[in-house]
Amino acid sequence: MALRDIKPTRSELINIKRRIKLSERGYNILKMKRDGLILEFFKVLQQAKDSRGAMQERYARATEMIAIADTVEGAIGVKAAAFSAADRPEITLKSKNIMGVVVPEIEASAVRKNLAERGYGVLGTSAVIDETAEAFEDLLESIIEAAEIETTMKRLLDEIESTKRRVNALEFKVIPELTEASNFIKMRLDEMEREELFRLKKIKARSSS
Amino acid sequence: MEIAVIGNSEFILGFRLAGVQKTYAAETDERLVDSVTRALGDKDVGILVLEGKDMERIPPRLRTTLENSVKPTVITIGGEEGGLSMRERIKRSVGVDLWK
Repeated sequence: MALRDIKPTRSELINIKRRIKLSERGYNILKMKRDGLILEFFKVLQQAKDSRGAMQERYARATEMIAIADTVEGAIGVKAAAFSAADRPEITLKSKNIMGVVVPEIEASAVRKNLAERGYGVLGTSAVIDETAEAFEDLLESIIEAAEIETTMKRLLDEIESTKRRVNALEFKVIPELTEASNFIKMRLDEMEREELFRLKKIKARSSS
Repeated sequence: MEIAVIGNSEFILGFRLAGVQKTYAAETDERLVDSVTRALGDKDVGILVLEGKDMERIPPRLRTTLENSVKPTVITIGGEEGGLSMRERIKRSVGVDLWK
């Protein structure tokens, strides 16, 4: 708002004062929200680090297992077992609310299976295949966990960023401009009052002479 | 919803063994980009799993889409890529490098 656009009237002053009060209240609330979000973020951050570490570890184990299975069973054997695997893991998305941010809660079913549920024949395959399947089921489980946590983190980060922007806009742009406008109006009103007084004195002096 | 896995044939084989049906083999760059775009458009995919070194083969624009995508959530395993993009985001939003 440029200063020349402001009408120096009393009602405008009241309006601006009201807006300053509102902006300050919003600013305080948003600042609290930002701090709260960052606190939440710290909690999730630790979890994310842990889950990523666990996932990486399980991934290393799973790749090792599949390499062993390839060697023992031959590529065709592993492939045959893999293609007969039934029962796909299903995930369901629910939502949870963290300080106004909707984050997903992922629930998985049928990730971990026992031998009979895996779909390939027990007789035709060796124990290595079982172990590989188990290693990948483990990996899948931690992937699902990591997915939930990382999505939460992404959403929180987005929210933190936009809240921070709003807080800064209020602090460094909106409130200073409004204060400047209100000061301008006050000065202008005082000036007009002095002019009026002077005019009255002038008239009085002329009429009394 | 389901989990989708994209990667080289060895990578996806293990996930097949664990019961994941939506596995796409992507040996060449074109196939990779094609599969990724298809998985992104698939309403039934909740989590998309990629290999860290495949992430580097994806063109930057698509990679940004993947990194910011919430539904489906994209998870990269192996390599540091997932951690790095997260690190950038944290630096930008919080202002401090908190990752590790």
